Amino acid sequence: MSEQADASMSEQADAAKSGDRRIGVFICHCGGNISDYVDVAKVRDALTDEPDVMVCETELFACSDGTQKEMVQAIQDERLDGLVVASCSPKLHQITFQGVSKRADLNPYSYTQVNVREQCSWAHTDDHEGATEKAIGLVRAGVAKTRLSRPLEPLVVKTLPRTMVVGGGVAGLRTAVGLADIGLGVIIVERASKLGGWVGELGPMYPNEHGGREQIDFLVAEVAKRPKITVLTDAELVSKSGSFGNYVTEVRVKGSHSQLITTEVGTIMVATGFDTYQPEVGEFGYGIDGVVTLPEFTKLLDDSHGAAGAGYSKGPLIYQGRPVRTIAYVYCVGNRQPAGGHEYCSKFCCAATVHASLKIAKRDSTLRQYHLHRDIRTYGKFELMYTESRERGSVYMKFPDDTPPSVARMADGRLAVTVVDTQTGNEELTLPADLVVLVTGMVPRKNQNLTSVLKLPVGVDGFYNEIHPKLRPVETVVAGVMIVGACQSPKTLSESVASGLAAVTQSAGILLKGFAELDPLVATVDTAACAGCTDTCLSSCPYDAITAVNADGREVAEISAAVCKGCGGCVPVCPQNAIDLLGYTDAQMRASIDSLAKEPVS
Amino acid sequence: MTTIIDTELLADVQRFGAGDVSACFSCGTCTAICPLSDNDGTFPRRIIRYAQVGMKDELLSSKELWTCYHCGLCSDSCPTEADPGEFMAAARRYAIASYEPTGLAKTLYTRPVVGPLIAVAVAAFFAIFMFAARGPQDPASLALFEFIPENLIHLTGIAVMGVMALSGIIGIVTMSRRVAKHENVSLPTLFGSRAALTRTGSALWSALGVESLGQRRYREDCKDDQPAEPWYRRRWLIHALSIWGFLGLLAATILDWGLALTGVKATGTPIPLWYPSRLIGTLAGLSLMYGVSMFMANRVRKVNRASMVSTASDWLLLVLLWITGATGFLIEVALYLPDAPAVVRLGYWVFLFHVAVAMELMLFLPFTKFAHAMYRPVALFFYALAGDKSKQPA
Repeated sequence: MSEQADASMSEQADAAKSGDRRIGVFICHCGGNISDYVDVAKVRDALTDEPDVMVCETELFACSDGTQKEMVQAIQDERLDGLVVASCSPKLHQITFQGVSKRADLNPYSYTQVNVREQCSWAHTDDHEGATEKAIGLVRAGVAKTRLSRPLEPLVVKTLPRTMVVGGGVAGLRTAVGLADIGLGVIIVERASKLGGWVGELGPMYPNEHGGREQIDFLVAEVAKRPKITVLTDAELVSKSGSFGNYVTEVRVKGSHSQLITTEVGTIMVATGFDTYQPEVGEFGYGIDGVVTLPEFTKLLDDSHGAAGAGYSKGPLIYQGRPVRTIAYVYCVGNRQPAGGHEYCSKFCCAATVHASLKIAKRDSTLRQYHLHRDIRTYGKFELMYTESRERGSVYMKFPDDTPPSVARMADGRLAVTVVDTQTGNEELTLPADLVVLVTGMVPRKNQNLTSVLKLPVGVDGFYNEIHPKLRPVETVVAGVMIVGACQSPKTLSESVASGLAAVTQSAGILLKGFAELDPLVATVDTAACAGCTDTCLSSCPYDAITAVNADGREVAEISAAVCKGCGGCVPVCPQNAIDLLGYTDAQMRASIDSLAKEPVS
Repeated sequence: MTTIIDTELLADVQRFGAGDVSACFSCGTCTAICPLSDNDGTFPRRIIRYAQVGMKDELLSSKELWTCYHCGLCSDSCPTEADPGEFMAAARRYAIASYEPTGLAKTLYTRPVVGPLIAVAVAAFFAIFMFAARGPQDPASLALFEFIPENLIHLTGIAVMGVMALSGIIGIVTMSRRVAKHENVSLPTLFGSRAALTRTGSALWSALGVESLGQRRYREDCKDDQPAEPWYRRRWLIHALSIWGFLGLLAATILDWGLALTGVKATGTPIPLWYPSRLIGTLAGLSLMYGVSMFMANRVRKVNRASMVSTASDWLLLVLLWITGATGFLIEVALYLPDAPAVVRLGYWVFLFHVAVAMELMLFLPFTKFAHAMYRPVALFFYALAGDKSKQPA
């Protein structure tokens, strides 16, 4: 890596002269999005005579298939060694035009995308002349940056065929089995003393009425069958070093004599799950005898269910020695709160509650059940449960968002739930009940240690964030660290398992080849210029990519290309200007600024 | 003011039918399609909701319950097949049972074996009672009121009518007070001023005249035009002919009694057909028999939504009416036939049967489906009052 860096510095110095590059410039109309406000012909005319510009054209839609083919042709015909497309945001089409470069055998890092749409035409719809001037400056800056560009190749790192799964709930277990089955070694790290998580506590579940415990037992047996999987319980991941594909981890295992286990793994799957919302005392009457949360209720129900396979016992549910004749469910407790609270919907709780109410309705048909909700979100196939539940006599009452129900104890010891039912004309109703179930949703699990050890990105809602919710749903910005299951967002069991298997596929892509390619846009140190004052740059790196090493008898900074994210945070803090960011070198940026600041053409 | 929920209400109402109503999710399609649901009363959705939620007071103080003639459009269009029309019928049965204090209506409606047994036992009681006090049977010609003395019938009839009236008044008062409270109607608003009296009088005319006798909304709004029935099978006409027939017979009886009191003729003696009491009685009897027979045929054939579900109590009313009417005609025929010994002997027994069943019919009026004849006009009265009020400037 450092050889590459050294070479780059000298090459850039050479390339600073103009007159020896062959650059193509394509200015996009974006079908009017740009050309309605920016005079693209004028931009083209201004750029045509720019040094090193061999081709300068406008295109109606640069991203169209036909235009892409013409661009490939132009690159090849004119033997271009640099490409500038002035169009939309690089977020939209950088990859597209890098692809054009690759197809024309041009190094994709010799391509520069200039944003003249979001940052120019759309922003200056009231000033066509000014927008045109700005566009000319921006494209010139792009050309200047391209002039100093040089070919870069992806970094290749060796990867270890081993993965750590943090969390031994249903998502972690299924992920571990999947990883083992594609030939990877797995270490499961579970904080509790036994595997299983929340699902391990559950009785019969929708849709097959298979017990949660039985499903966990099945997975644990599958894990045991696979010698590739190591299980560590009472264990916590306490440190992580190394880089993508080669992480060195330390796991502390508690027990009679606590020990620290060091392992090297290629990727890390975080499957730490969720916590359930714990109401405050007094919140919807919580704390009053007979007011329970959903997990407390399902446990009460499943405990009375008897041994697995024994079927439902008949007769009323007994709570503290008294038969339960009427149950009121209060939905959305701790979820869908106003800004600042848990604003999201946990999406499993409606279905879980309706399912629980069906289980109990089947054993006691005389039980009266009232569901006090804001909306019922039994989406997809859960809808059938909702229908069945209504047909079995469950009453659903929708209360207004600004008038939540209240719960109090009556003189006779029963509970009184006061509710406004929007479907009965907003009259205030008082429901006498024996049991009030607060349907509590999921909240992010408090895992500060793990979050800081892995530098996991946490969203405003407190759950871990993926890179892209649709296209990269299990990867995090920390390369090789993936999020699985409900640590990412509220999920049902099947969704958690599906995300685990997605992470298995993602790991396979990274680890089975034995190597991985990384973006080469990373920071490099000019060892000769480095004064060895490493405190400044070391503390500026959020990824711990910089270390102090001894080179020829003196201390200098070294940046691990595999760990570096290319954020550039270390570049400006270096007092010696000894750090440069490939693809965005100081020389490139200076040349860009100079071009941008050139006198206006008109 | 909070309403305490009665968690057993829906289960209680469902004992009277309406097994499917739990599927209702309050979409309101029924209310949208109902030809009778308008600004003054929205149903069936709201009434179903009362039952689902457990708002017993609101359910039993709803005048809307009694507006429905069960055309079945709501049940045809219900997306959850909750059968709102049948629910309304069940809720009316529940209301009939709730307004009377003895529990007899509830038994007749909800006990498919015990109910009919009670009906048979009561008829048998009347028959045995009359038979025990019987006089001689003249074998030569029918002397009905010697066989069962006129006085006995008269006194028993008064006793039966007394019990019926007492139960009926209790029911009507119970219902009226509930609905009046719900509708904010009090005695001063009914009778407190000349304007109030005019309004009350006009509401009474609307309830009893235009709607009960005239069947205006049944005729105009709840048409059987899907598919179109021939005029003689229209439900409103069958219903109207039954009402008119029953009332006609009542009028003929009173007229006959009046003629006896004034000494023009003795009760039970043959008179020519053109006699007013005989003419009215015969026409009314034919009308009643046609209406009731059609109702029974409809129930057997299940030709419309209203006749899909038949409780024992629904049949009880029809059977009692039909037997009373049919035996009445048989007696008339027997009176005009030549006095053959077999006809005469049979005539006495038919008469005994007729009297016993007629007594039961009247006694059971507040406890069977017949009770709707008391409650529907009350509801229509409040309905007319509410409609009238809405027309006044605020």
